[in-house]
Amino acid sequence: MLMPKRVKYRKAHRGRMKGRATRGNYIAFGQYGLQALEPHWITSRQIEAARRAIVRYVKRGGKLWIRIFPDKPVTAKAAETRMGGGKGALSHWVAVVKPGRILFEITGVNEEAAREAFRLASHKLPIRTQFVTKEDFSAGGGAQ
Amino acid sequence: MEEILLNAEQRQITGKMVKQLRHKGYVPGVLYGHYTEPINLRIEQRALYQAVQEAGMNRLITLNIKGIRDPRRVLVRELQRDAITHTMLHVDLYEVIMTERITTEVSIVLTGESPMVQDGEGLVFQGLDNIEIECLPGDLPPQIEVDITGLDVIDATILVSDLKLSDAIEILTDAEEIVVRILPPAREEIEEVVEVEEVAEVEVVGEEEEGPEAEAEEEAKSGREQ
Repeated sequence: MLMPKRVKYRKAHRGRMKGRATRGNYIAFGQYGLQALEPHWITSRQIEAARRAIVRYVKRGGKLWIRIFPDKPVTAKAAETRMGGGKGALSHWVAVVKPGRILFEITGVNEEAAREAFRLASHKLPIRTQFVTKEDFSAGGGAQ
Repeated sequence: MEEILLNAEQRQITGKMVKQLRHKGYVPGVLYGHYTEPINLRIEQRALYQAVQEAGMNRLITLNIKGIRDPRRVLVRELQRDAITHTMLHVDLYEVIMTERITTEVSIVLTGESPMVQDGEGLVFQGLDNIEIECLPGDLPPQIEVDITGLDVIDATILVSDLKLSDAIEILTDAEEIVVRILPPAREEIEEVVEVEEVAEVEVVGEEEEGPEAEAEEEAKSGREQ
């Protein structure tokens, strides 16, 4: 599962998730992508589950890019612990995702396969997503 | 090649108020150029969409501005889109002078199919979608076609330096950049059954530098408390 190799601080504040993604909001590498439509913390387990769903569907062929990385530590107190005693122990890692963020990109497969792979992957994620193509972001393509 | 026409009107509304224009079915834009004073424009969304679809970023558009007699020859320099809905938010139009060389990006289109891909032995990785070129506006190619039928081994590569363009066009992109490469297909993954959770084992920057001194200090402190 994805997690940082080394960090500057072991625990982090929760922060806020206002607004839309201003970076990583376009298709940079592949032909097709999966775009987030809601803000949420995506855990490394969810990313891995989605990745497996995609790889399992496309089998051989296709190249996949994961455009998010879980670099935010989340802490939790042990069960049945009284309040106090400082911040809890490190529980898991999450990626902070805002609407518009491209989560995965794929190339080397046809559109139908990419759509189905991303549909399966989206069921592993806690947010609404949409399928996007590189043309959606180009000058000649996209919506009006 | 057929001429692409686009009509626009001058725009007085600027700033946050341009939202109202978008609600009315217009796209705010601006026209500028080397010797042209910037003019704020509003363009009908549907007309702009059709023109941009046809012209892309590197075909000349003839722009008629209401109230200005001479039509302008322009290129779409930048098109801002909404990241989620992909609707057009703003357009930059650049007025060209037919005798002055311009720098622009031209899209690369792959033609043919590699035998490796046909056999399922490899997959095509397109490293560059556009290349930057310099030429006269009249010499602008609508796109650059790259034939990939000759790529018949894994790691076969076409570099920017391998592209053959007319002498009137100068390529500005680094000659060593990869345009297309044949990659080996992704290996089928053997699914692991057991999943091991490793969360707490992350090195913290700076801690290892403190080393034994810091530990000794901490020990001394705990001894004092006792």
